[in-house]
Amino acid sequence: MAIISEQPGGQQVPDDGITAQGVSRSFGAVRAVDHMDFHAPAGRVTALIGPNGAGKTTLLLMLASLLAPDQGSITVGGLDPVRNRAEVRRRLGWMPDTLGVWESLTAREILTQMARFYRLPASGIAPRVTDMLEGVRLAALADQPARVLSRGQQQRLSLARALIHDPSVLLLDEPASGLDPGSRVELRTMLRQLAAEGKAVVVSSHVLSELDEIADGAVFVNNGRTVRQQTTEEAAAAGRRYAITAADTAALAAELARLGLEFRREEGRRPGVSLVLHNEVGAERLLRDLVLAGVGIRSFAPAAGALEETYMNLEGERR
Amino acid sequence: MSSMTENREVSARRGAPGPYLSGIAHVVALELKQRLRSRGWYIMLAIWFALTGLVTWLTWASWSASNAFQTRDFGGVSGTALTGPGSLIFEVVLAFVLLFALLVAPALSANAVNGDRAGGTLAILQVTLLEPGQILWGKFFAAWAAALAFLVASTPFLVIGVALGGLTPAYILVSLVMLAVEVGIVCAIGVGISALAGRPLFSIVVTYLAVAGLVVGTLISFGLGTGLTQGTVMANNPQYRAYAPLQSDPVDAGYTCAGPLREQSAMHTERVAWTLAMNPFVVVADAIPYPDRTVRQNFTSIGAIEGISQAARQAMAGPDGTVACANGKVQPTYLGQKTPLWPLGLGLQLVLSGFLMWLGWRSLRTPARKLARGTRIA
Repeated sequence: MAIISEQPGGQQVPDDGITAQGVSRSFGAVRAVDHMDFHAPAGRVTALIGPNGAGKTTLLLMLASLLAPDQGSITVGGLDPVRNRAEVRRRLGWMPDTLGVWESLTAREILTQMARFYRLPASGIAPRVTDMLEGVRLAALADQPARVLSRGQQQRLSLARALIHDPSVLLLDEPASGLDPGSRVELRTMLRQLAAEGKAVVVSSHVLSELDEIADGAVFVNNGRTVRQQTTEEAAAAGRRYAITAADTAALAAELARLGLEFRREEGRRPGVSLVLHNEVGAERLLRDLVLAGVGIRSFAPAAGALEETYMNLEGERR
Repeated sequence: MSSMTENREVSARRGAPGPYLSGIAHVVALELKQRLRSRGWYIMLAIWFALTGLVTWLTWASWSASNAFQTRDFGGVSGTALTGPGSLIFEVVLAFVLLFALLVAPALSANAVNGDRAGGTLAILQVTLLEPGQILWGKFFAAWAAALAFLVASTPFLVIGVALGGLTPAYILVSLVMLAVEVGIVCAIGVGISALAGRPLFSIVVTYLAVAGLVVGTLISFGLGTGLTQGTVMANNPQYRAYAPLQSDPVDAGYTCAGPLREQSAMHTERVAWTLAMNPFVVVADAIPYPDRTVRQNFTSIGAIEGISQAARQAMAGPDGTVACANGKVQPTYLGQKTPLWPLGLGLQLVLSGFLMWLGWRSLRTPARKLARGTRIA
């Protein structure tokens, strides 16, 4: 039985990624997830964004086929997790927010055990484990007990564990929390690469700035509901706030007023102004106009990531 | 969950028993690796070995001291000297090993599942292709294996006891098998409860209470239950022979029955004897073979193990088998081992532990529909 198809590519996934439709789940009186819709297509990175307690982890547990929804349906590659449990699990990789490593086992033993639990062919396990360890830069620590690994290293081990059976859908719950900036960049590269191989990658986070770089699309949730689904392009197209600082803020403000633009003075550490621009072409034109008008521009950049912009707007709507 | 999924699981198991068993074996391997690397287990094992050795030595020392005393004062050979210390040492060590095995087993089993839940590693297993049954059986066998190591550590002392007393190897074999089975029962109870309870501390305490229930609770419930079994038995009068020798005799009760049958009040202990049968000490004692006492020649003193077994069988026989001249028949004072009690007790224990394991299995099924209050699955 071929469990792993070694060649990358989305061909093995005729039906697209992972989908939840109208799922609800309550814990006693608490409605953790309430008619949530979610879709993560194959070959893309989808961010699941929401404040703490929004129902992200509950949704991910349901997507990971650990928790049954009270209502609604979930399909993984077109299959129902309740009816085709084994088939669905072969396609799912899940990295929990609690790391949960067997502390007395070495990284190599942990991955080997996981490969066995996924019933990979015995002969292929050892090379596969070595590959995975190299992929997450743990080869040098492969025979150390997991308890001596740092948090970042344990996180990478956890990622390797979720990938050991080459799943076509990858669910990552807060994968970047506790990682240093270098490891974040590395994680970003890795996730982009996995998406390029045709996997559906779902990343939940509330660190938004880095999701801009990783995610192709985002699903915003709050209070157990799906608030908005959009792609990063759509988020960018919806308009972004730009922050501008100049040698002479008064001159900058005067020029903006002359151009008839609505702006806001920012009294931060570096005084400047901020304003909403609808697209990047507009930003380009404004910058040229300002420079040609002789305003000494010191910086001109988006004030926040595109997803952060949407998130903050949603927060605003909520109040 | 729907019965359909269960059927599917069953048929999957039937179609390929190999993967199912190898899945269990992989879980056992994972568990044992972790257990073998924890220092606490070795420390417990060392303490256990030392303690069992100490008990063996103390028993032997106290026997030889009392033996020397008797030999000096009476110049003769005492009754126990005939059989040697073996029977005594064997019985003391066996009772001690069983008691401590019953105390150790919950500690080794009752946090197997919820300990993993607390550490976040249970969901890691559940999300793989492992079936809930494989996880549960794997946890059980690993806990059992860890507990059996304690029995292995105490085997030398049981061998010493048997060898000194001139008992047959069958004693060691049967007693070790029965000890292993009893430890397995406690491990199954512990693993089952640990899958049900949210917190390891709670499940360990509950498992200890379950063990206490089996060891002490069965005696208490038998004692209290007996009071509810007041009844009558038809019996006539025993006529004791005047010259009856003082020593008890296994076959000859020393009386004859005469006169009309009359109703006599009696306790129908056979109605509640099943509670007694569930006691691990009764199960082990009853399963161990002892010489056939109905043959007059072999009759010497009765050991503690044999005494427990006989007492339990008297309770099981009830007044019809124990009241003198019940139904006008002479009762043997000694009940042969033809109707063993331990299969009943063991069966009841298996039902209890099997039920708890089944409940535990239900709580491990995924996608989970119901969660225990306050538990998070991941």
